[in-house]
Amino acid sequence: MGRIPTVELSRYLLTGQLNRRGCLRARLPRISASAAFGPSPQHRRFTSHVETTTSRPSDHATTAPATPVTPLRKQLKEQAKALKASGKKKKKNADSQTVPGWELTVGIEIHAQLNTARKLFSPAVTSFNDLPNSHVALFDLAMPGSQPLFQPESLIPAVRAALALGCAIQPVSRFDRKHYFHWDQPAGYQITQYYHPFARDGRVVLHARDGIAPEDGDRVEIGIRQVQMEQDTAKTTAQPGEVQWLDFNRVGLPLIEIITLPQIRHPATAAALVRKVQMLLGAVDACVLGMEAGGLRADVNVSVRRTEDVAAGKPLGTRTEIKNLSSFKAVEDAIIAERDRQIDVLEAGGIVEGETRGWSLGSTETRRLRGKEDEVDYRYMPDPDLGPVVIGEGLVSHLASSMGILPDAEINELVERYGLSSKDAMSLMMLDDGARIQYFYNVLDALEERLGLGGDMESDQRHALLAANWCLHELGKLTELSSDLGMTPDGECHVPSRDLAAILSHLHRKEITAKVAKELLWGVFRREVATGGVTQAIDAGNLWFKGLSEQEYAELADMVVHGEHKVVREFLRFKQGKLKAYPQGKLMFLVGKMMRTGPEERMDPASAERVMKERIESIYLLALDENE
Amino acid sequence: MSARGRPQGLHLRPVCFSRQQQRRLLNHFISKAPEQTGQPIPFRFTLAVKDNIATTTATVNSSPTSASSDPPQPTPALPTTCASHFLSTYRSPFEATIVSQLRARGARLVGKTNLDEFGMGSHSTHSAFGAVSQPQSQSDPPGNNLLQLSAGGSSGGSAVAVATGEADVALGTDTGGSVRLPAAYCGVVGFKPSYGMLSRYGVVPYANSLDTVGLLASGVGRIRELIVGGGGGGQGGEGHGLWEEWDARDPTSLSVAARRRCARRREGYSPQEKERGVLKRVKFGIPLEYNIEELDPRIRDAWAKAAKTLQDEFGARVVPVSLPSTRHALSAYYVIAPAEASSNLAKYDGIRYGTRDTDSGSDATGGVLYAASRGKGFGEEVKRRILLGSYTLSSKAMDNYFIQAQRVRRLVRRDFNRVFALDNPLHERETFDLTDLDESIVMEDKWGPEEVDFLLCPTAPTLAPRLEDIMNQTPVDAYMNDVFTVPASLAGLPAISIPVPLSETATDDAEKSRTAGLQLIGQYWDDARLLAVAEAVLQTLRSTTSTR
Repeated sequence: MGRIPTVELSRYLLTGQLNRRGCLRARLPRISASAAFGPSPQHRRFTSHVETTTSRPSDHATTAPATPVTPLRKQLKEQAKALKASGKKKKKNADSQTVPGWELTVGIEIHAQLNTARKLFSPAVTSFNDLPNSHVALFDLAMPGSQPLFQPESLIPAVRAALALGCAIQPVSRFDRKHYFHWDQPAGYQITQYYHPFARDGRVVLHARDGIAPEDGDRVEIGIRQVQMEQDTAKTTAQPGEVQWLDFNRVGLPLIEIITLPQIRHPATAAALVRKVQMLLGAVDACVLGMEAGGLRADVNVSVRRTEDVAAGKPLGTRTEIKNLSSFKAVEDAIIAERDRQIDVLEAGGIVEGETRGWSLGSTETRRLRGKEDEVDYRYMPDPDLGPVVIGEGLVSHLASSMGILPDAEINELVERYGLSSKDAMSLMMLDDGARIQYFYNVLDALEERLGLGGDMESDQRHALLAANWCLHELGKLTELSSDLGMTPDGECHVPSRDLAAILSHLHRKEITAKVAKELLWGVFRREVATGGVTQAIDAGNLWFKGLSEQEYAELADMVVHGEHKVVREFLRFKQGKLKAYPQGKLMFLVGKMMRTGPEERMDPASAERVMKERIESIYLLALDENE
Repeated sequence: MSARGRPQGLHLRPVCFSRQQQRRLLNHFISKAPEQTGQPIPFRFTLAVKDNIATTTATVNSSPTSASSDPPQPTPALPTTCASHFLSTYRSPFEATIVSQLRARGARLVGKTNLDEFGMGSHSTHSAFGAVSQPQSQSDPPGNNLLQLSAGGSSGGSAVAVATGEADVALGTDTGGSVRLPAAYCGVVGFKPSYGMLSRYGVVPYANSLDTVGLLASGVGRIRELIVGGGGGGQGGEGHGLWEEWDARDPTSLSVAARRRCARRREGYSPQEKERGVLKRVKFGIPLEYNIEELDPRIRDAWAKAAKTLQDEFGARVVPVSLPSTRHALSAYYVIAPAEASSNLAKYDGIRYGTRDTDSGSDATGGVLYAASRGKGFGEEVKRRILLGSYTLSSKAMDNYFIQAQRVRRLVRRDFNRVFALDNPLHERETFDLTDLDESIVMEDKWGPEEVDFLLCPTAPTLAPRLEDIMNQTPVDAYMNDVFTVPASLAGLPAISIPVPLSETATDDAEKSRTAGLQLIGQYWDDARLLAVAEAVLQTLRSTTSTR
């Protein structure tokens, strides 16, 4: 799937190092194959080789962030509480996508942190939960006489992100200073790309499966105005009594800001866009952390106008900006609330003020932060210390060709080739910031090796569907939070992929029952079963499925049918044409009784059903026929 | 020395008698390195450093010649105050590249010199540590002890340190003439290199796109030796010229490849080149627009005489040239420099370093973050420029001021490119319209007027004014002093101010000992030849005066 980690790519492009033990040849065709021909028969084969990077300390910081526990659950609880308290019933979002007589217009700005080893303008190392203020260069603190040093490796994830968003990379871009005073910004300005961003004119295609509003139909396309690089600010931690703690480890980390055109018409579509952007950024390994963990932040610009004004070609209404939305749900809910507020204002004969508003998860209304008169004049100025960024065509074409398959193509493949539902395919893609799907590929590769299957060449892909279901649903049952699985970006977790493959290979061959397989999964997860010891554990526990023989099944069936003449008569009625549908319910009743009566651990419901059906057809019906 | 407020500049101290006391009262040092104790450590020259250039706790001697048994002596860190109340106790955690480079060439740091706060001023009077005055004040008539003269600014302290002989070389910074103007006023040599030649890492920025590190000395030779290196004719013989050294920590420092590329199209960088007869081959241009009404007649005479001498004694060609954008250059400078300053100085809030106002309860007095600290920390001139810059960058004024000024800046550079025979290696060659030219310019042929190697013009329109008079000036009057120095800064060109004697027609002795600053401006990266020519010109002008 083209997941070359950004760090690895940086090292290759900047220093010519290839830090892999694996085969170089295997990697290159994957790059071109997947990029040039879309989902190709070979491409998945190679994904299993991706993870061999030997990790250095700095790599570790970027590739294996210790994901903090997401506060989402807590927030949702509070939201529910707030709703209860306010006594209002939660509106169904589906009902609130449109307001008759009004048209909504939304544009979004998304901030995401680039996946780099160093800060944007200093060689200080990027870090997540390291000791506060331990990775700070002189420039990061705006020490007098220090100067910015652009780190060219920031361009690799930045350009990948822009390419994934379909943007045109600008050959020359520049940095500007955006001035405002805040304690989290030591220089008194943020370096960003206001006048000349590095990427423009992109687009994101949203499908129905992405969760867009039904009113948008099957597919909608949202334009990207520009993508720019900029610095992050320091992290503030509020302490009791007007005290703020500052961690300058975060100051100067590279961000990209993605600005869409005002082309979004429905709240659900806005949320879908943000989700899709996150998925795209994750797929090309351009950014770190998911939205819920604070790696992605969105600001939305909302305006409304009457539908008759739209028809009359009048301009858009006055827009307001809602800042700092940190979840998909917040995006949708804040837009709905703000749209309704603006409509109320206008219907009451008022005017919408251009202003900045805030939103907290769980509330039902946006709140005013500052009006236009308090708006900061950022006094944008080209940074006189920083030269233009010149991006060569060679870099762009190399990054474009090494980007691999993008999520839409990958989802199509999961659905069409392996038979997953769209929903499951999306979930598999989104979970653990893209690590879950990698895990799935690892499991699938190991499984096919065990089964001796030829991978994608096989027409029968039932084993793949089995693997997908387990990677998604059974694995999901192990922990409350998916982060507790310890999933790494290269697709490994507390349940090693080879062990899950071992379990699934036995299950697929019907050598163990599903119940046993689930117990084994728990065993591996709790480390009761040693790594690589699945088969031994089955031996030790005598858990092999020793199925009943045909004879034993038949005897069991006879035992169960005895005294169920009424039931058996139903089958006869069907055969005589007195009953339209085959009495499947009755059959299953008998099978269930059979399962309860017999030794469950040796029985397979499918076999029991088959034998029961045969017995009814060949023996009992004949007997009844003769009797009647 | 007081660290509070600016009014000290207004308190003119009486001139005293002993030379020692006299020096002290010039107020040109903010801090001095302690006297050497024990074995004197060998050094090649003494160095004074303008106090907006970072220095640290450095051992005095980093040269490998010192015996290993004799450990280098650490000296206490000298603060880097920028003559601002804000940084009056600030000690930099790192040393500026230029200081390290000079120490490696045998410099012994003698002290940090006074300046206009953050380099903003033309007379070194806007300092939290009081105004600087210059040694020429001594020659004032006895009894009138208020006749102290301006040392020029903003590198006034550095110029005085050279003039008094306390430093062989002094570092200054030149944003719009801050090295050349004090050199002219104090009768020393002040050199501003091409932008991007000397590292600015560790130089506290005033206006980054204009800031350069400059060198001051009593003669051209020492500066030339440091810039061009031993091979360039200096006595040192060892060590590379500073022109070759790229600093990875300064993003505006030219790369090694660019330095070589520029130098290949210039003379004077390679040691093999002969320097004899350098004067005979060059053509000097006299920019007509520099002959302004406000120009002091004594300076005009000295300028004319110098031109004549160069022509008569050496057969150098001297031709008039036109730089039509000159009259807008000063306005453009006072838009661009304050704009960048307002941005650069936003970092001073007293939180991470510097002085914080702890008297007012909150850092957000009146709802504005850091308002109290910034209100108290900065002097009047700095506040004026921050306000000016904040205005010209505001969304409503941006197009009319900042953008417009950048256009003027481009025109100024274009003017220079047109009159110089050499191309500017940083820009594509442009074609010029002859109708732009002043009518008084003589055409050499149908292609246009003669192209020249250097421009010869005054450094400042007046001689050093009295401090007393300065106090009564409006800020705009003070800005006028930069009118001849700003154009070279806007174009990033090398320029040097050399002291030439006033005309012998001067009536009194005091007048006879005074000098005027003449400025030579060269094309980009023509620094080596500029220094060679300046050295020869200075020698010629001095010898012709003395022989008469």
